[in-house]
Amino acid sequence: MSMQAALPVALIPGNSIIHRINPITKIVWVVGYIVLAFATQNIIILGVMAVFAFMLAPIAGITRPLLKGMLILVPIGSSLIALQIIAPAVEKPWTPAWELGGFVIYTDGLYYGLVLLGRIVASLIIALVMVMTTHPSDLFTSLAKLKMPYILNFMSSMTLQLIPVFQREFGIIMSAQKSRGMKGSGFAAVLPSFVPVFVGAIERVQQLAISLESRGFGSDGHKTSYRQVRARPLDWIIGVLGFVVLIGLSVISILKGLWNISALITFPGPFVAGLFFVCAAVFVGFLVLIAVFSFKK
Amino acid sequence: MAEPSTVADPSTMDRGARAIEIRGARYVYPTGNVVALGGVDLNVDHGEIIGIIGQNGSGKTTLTKLFNGLLKPTEGTVVINGVNTAERSVQQMAAHVGYVFQNPNHQLFARTVDDELQFGPRNIGVPEDEIRARVDEAIEFFGLHDVKEEHPYRVSFPIRKLVGIASIYTMRPPILIFDEPSTGQDHNTTKIINDLMRRLRDEGTTVVCVSHDMPLLADVVERVVVMKATEIIADASPREVFADKALMARTNLQAPQSTEIALQTVVGLGGPVALTPQELADDLVGRLSGSAPASSTRKR
Amino acid sequence: MPDPIIRFENVTFSYAGTDEPALHDISLEIMPGEYVAILGLNGAGKTTLGLCVNGVVPTMLAGDLEGSVTVGGLDVADYPVREMAKLVGMVFDNPEFQMSQMSAEEEVALGLENAGTPYEDMKRIIPETLKLVGLEGFESRSPLGLSGGQQQRLAIAAVLAMHPKVLIMDEPTSNLDPIGKQEVFDMAAKLNRENGMTVIVIEHEVEVMARYADRVIVLDHGRIIMNGTPQEIFGRAEELATLGLRVPEAAAIAAILSARGLWKGPVPITTEPAVEAITELLGAKNG
Ligand SMILES: Nc1ncnc2c1ncn2[C@@H]1O[C@H](COP(=O)(O)OP(=O)(O)O)[C@@H](O)[C@H]1O
Ligand SMILES: Nc1ncnc2c1ncn2[C@@H]1O[C@H](COP(=O)(O)OP(=O)(O)O)[C@@H](O)[C@H]1O
Ligand SMILES: [Mg+2]
Ligand SMILES: [Mg+2]
Repeated sequence: MSMQAALPVALIPGNSIIHRINPITKIVWVVGYIVLAFATQNIIILGVMAVFAFMLAPIAGITRPLLKGMLILVPIGSSLIALQIIAPAVEKPWTPAWELGGFVIYTDGLYYGLVLLGRIVASLIIALVMVMTTHPSDLFTSLAKLKMPYILNFMSSMTLQLIPVFQREFGIIMSAQKSRGMKGSGFAAVLPSFVPVFVGAIERVQQLAISLESRGFGSDGHKTSYRQVRARPLDWIIGVLGFVVLIGLSVISILKGLWNISALITFPGPFVAGLFFVCAAVFVGFLVLIAVFSFKK
Repeated sequence: MAEPSTVADPSTMDRGARAIEIRGARYVYPTGNVVALGGVDLNVDHGEIIGIIGQNGSGKTTLTKLFNGLLKPTEGTVVINGVNTAERSVQQMAAHVGYVFQNPNHQLFARTVDDELQFGPRNIGVPEDEIRARVDEAIEFFGLHDVKEEHPYRVSFPIRKLVGIASIYTMRPPILIFDEPSTGQDHNTTKIINDLMRRLRDEGTTVVCVSHDMPLLADVVERVVVMKATEIIADASPREVFADKALMARTNLQAPQSTEIALQTVVGLGGPVALTPQELADDLVGRLSGSAPASSTRKR
Repeated sequence: MPDPIIRFENVTFSYAGTDEPALHDISLEIMPGEYVAILGLNGAGKTTLGLCVNGVVPTMLAGDLEGSVTVGGLDVADYPVREMAKLVGMVFDNPEFQMSQMSAEEEVALGLENAGTPYEDMKRIIPETLKLVGLEGFESRSPLGLSGGQQQRLAIAAVLAMHPKVLIMDEPTSNLDPIGKQEVFDMAAKLNRENGMTVIVIEHEVEVMARYADRVIVLDHGRIIMNGTPQEIFGRAEELATLGLRVPEAAAIAAILSARGLWKGPVPITTEPAVEAITELLGAKNG
C-alpha cells in the first residue's frame, strides 16, 4: 500500500537507465534546462528541448504518468496562447489579423506566447521526468551534499509527504461529518472540514518539532547519511555534457540578444484566428469539465 | 435526567426484523487491494449490546464502517434496521446509526463544545427545544460544564474524546457504534463511558463497541464477537470467550485479570468464570465463610 | 551507591499563560537502571514531568520553572533538547505525529544521522532495532502507511536506536492490542535488565505496571502523592480510589476479602501470587 500513490506527481519505481542516473546529475540538467529556457526566445531551441525531454519518458517507462502530469498544461497553455493573441505582450503597433465588431485579434503576440509556452513545457517535462525517476530520499540526500541547508531540505521533503496525509485526513473528516447527517455538497459543505484539517496540521507540526528535536534534529556537529548515493563516471559524463551544452547555448543566446527569430516567422491571419478559437474553446471546456467533476463528487 | 427522545426513538421507527444483518460481507480496500473482510456474517438484534475484539488489523474498524454505510461491501449485503446500506447515502443512514470515530479530531469542527453537541441533532431535524434539552443533559452527564464554551480543540485529548461521544449521543440514534472509546482514557473517564453503556442498555439502544478494554466489556457487554485476520472466529458471551484460553492466545488477546485468576482457582471447584473482582471476591467470601454455595453468584 | 541519574529539586512549573502550575513542588530522584511507572488522572502532570527530563519543558514549551531538573549531572534548562537527546530518548503518545521520513528505516536512521553515527554502524544498528520491535520486513514501508500499532513500535525503534541512557515512554501502547502492549513492555524490561537502561513509563493500565515496574509514582494535580514499590502503592486501594485511580484486579480481590477479615497475607498485585494465595486459602479452609 503506497501512500505516495495519492500524489499526482511521484516516483514511478523502476530501474531504467534514467532512474539510475545520479540525482545531482539530474539536478544539473533540470537547472540547466530552466536557465536555457529563460535565456532564449528561440522557439526552435525551446521546441527541441521539449521534444528531447519528452523522449526520455519511454526510456524510463513513465510515458503515461508523464502525460497525466502534463494535463496541467492544457488550461495554462490554452489560456496563455488565447490571451497573447488578443492582448500581445509586445510593444504596439500591433498587426490585426481578424476583426469582428470591436473585437480584434493580432498576430504579434503569438510568437511570444509560444516562447512562454515553450519555456513552461520544456522546464515542466524535464522536472517531471526527474521527480518521477528519483527516490525523494536520494534527491534530498543529494541536495544535502550540495550544501543545501538541512532544515530547508527537510522541510521540502516533509511537505511532499504531508500532502497525501492531508488528503487522507480530509477524506476521513468528510465521512465523519456525513455520518452525523451533514447535508449539502459543494464548497459550503466542504468548508467545516477545513477547520479540523487545519487544527490537526498545527498540532501535528508542533508535536513533530518536539519529537524531532528529541532525536537530536538540528544539532550542530558532524552528520552522517544513511542513504548512500554514488556517482559513477557515466553520471559525471552526462552531467558535464548537459552543463556544457545547456549553459553554452544560454551564453550564445544571451550574446545574440535572446535569439528572437520572430522576424523569420509570419503567421497567416486566418491561422491565428482559428488558433484563438480553438484555445479559447479548450480552456472553457476545461473549466466546465472541472465544475462538472467537482459537482459529481 | 431527561427522558429519551421521541424523534429518533427506536420504537417509533420502521424497523427491520434485526438491527444489523450482514450476509457474506467482503471488503477490499481499493488502495493496494487489501482484503480487510473476507466474507462475514453477523446478526445483531434490537437492543443488544455487543463487543468486538481482535488484534490490530483484524478488520474491526472496517466491519463497523459497513454499519453506517461509510464503506459499502465489495460483496455481500449489509442491512441495518431493515435498510440495505447499498441503497442509501451515509447522510441518510445517520438517523439510524451513530458512529463514534476512534480519533475525535476526525469528527469535531464547531466553534464551541456546545455547538458541537447541537450539530448532529439539528441535521436530522430534531426540534430546537428538544436539541437544547438533550445538549444540556449531555453536558451534565459527560461532565463538560467547564469546557462547554471552549473550542473543541482547546480541550485536552481525553476530554475531546468525550465530546466526540457526546456529539453523537445527542442524536439518539437507535444503533450506536463506538470504535475504541476508552483508549487513552483514565479510570475516571472510562467510568463515564461505562455509565453511558449501561444507560444505552436501559434505553434499548443497540450498541456495538470495538474495544481492547476487557474490564469495560466484561462489565456491560452481553455478547463478544472475536475477529482474527478478516474473519469472525467466535461469537459468544464474554464469559465463554474469556474462559477460552486457546482462543485468547490465538487472537493476541487477554482475559481480565479476575477471569484469569478465577480460571486457575475456583472454576475447577465449580465456581464462576468471574469477569470482575467483585464477582470473584463474592464467590470466595461464600467459600471461605462456608455459607452460600459458590455457584449462586453466577449471573448467566 | 551511584548518583541518581535524574534529580528533581523542588520543581514547580506553570505553562505560559496559565495560572495553575502543572507541576507543584516536585522532588524526586531516579537511580540508573530503575524502571519507574507514573500513574495519575488525565491532566495530573505526567506528560509535563516526562518533558522536564528531556528539557522540552522549559526550553521548547515555555513557562515558569522554579527549582531544577538535572539529568546525568546536566541542568536541563541550560541545554537545548537536541543535546539532551544523546542522554534521554522520549516516545510520545501520538505515534503518527512523530513520523517524518519516507521509509521506516530512514525514520530510525534520523536520530543516528543527527548524532553523526558512521554509515557502517547504522547499517548494523537499524535492522537490529527494527527486529527488536518486530518490524523486520517493513524497512522500506512508508511510516504513514503503517497501522497505529506498527507506528507505535516504529516510534519506539527510532528512539531506541540512539541507545539513550534514559527511555521515557508516554502512554506508548494506547493503540496496541493486549499482546502488542505486553511486547512493548517486555522489550523495555529487557533493555532495562540487560543494558541497564533507565526506563520511565507513563501508563494507565495498572495490571501492566504491577508486572514491570520497580517503582510507582502517583501524581495528582501536579503533586507527587505516592512514591513507592508497586507492592506498597497497590496495597492502598482505598486511597487510590479517592484519587479516582484503581488497583490491579488481583489487589482489588484481596482488598474486598481483607475488608471482611478473610485475607491475611501480603496483597498480591499480579496474577500468579493471587492464584497461589487463593489456592492456599481454599486449601486451608477445606483441609
Ligand atoms: N484506508 C485503508 N486502505 C488500505 N488498507 C486499509 C485501510 N484501512 C485499513 N486497512 C487495512 O485493512 C485491514 C483491517 O484494518 P482495520 O479494519 O482498521 O483493523 P482493526 O480496526 O481491527 O485494527 C488491515 O490490514 C489494514 O492495514
Ligand atoms: N502546552 C501546554 N500549554 C498549556 N497548558 C498545558 C500544556 N500542556 C499541558 N498543559 C496543562 O498542564 C496540566 C498537566 O498536563 P499534562 O502534563 O499533559 O498531564 P497528563 O499527561 O497527566 O495528562 C494540565 O492542566 C494541562 O491542561
Ligand atoms: Mg481499528
Ligand atoms: Mg499526558
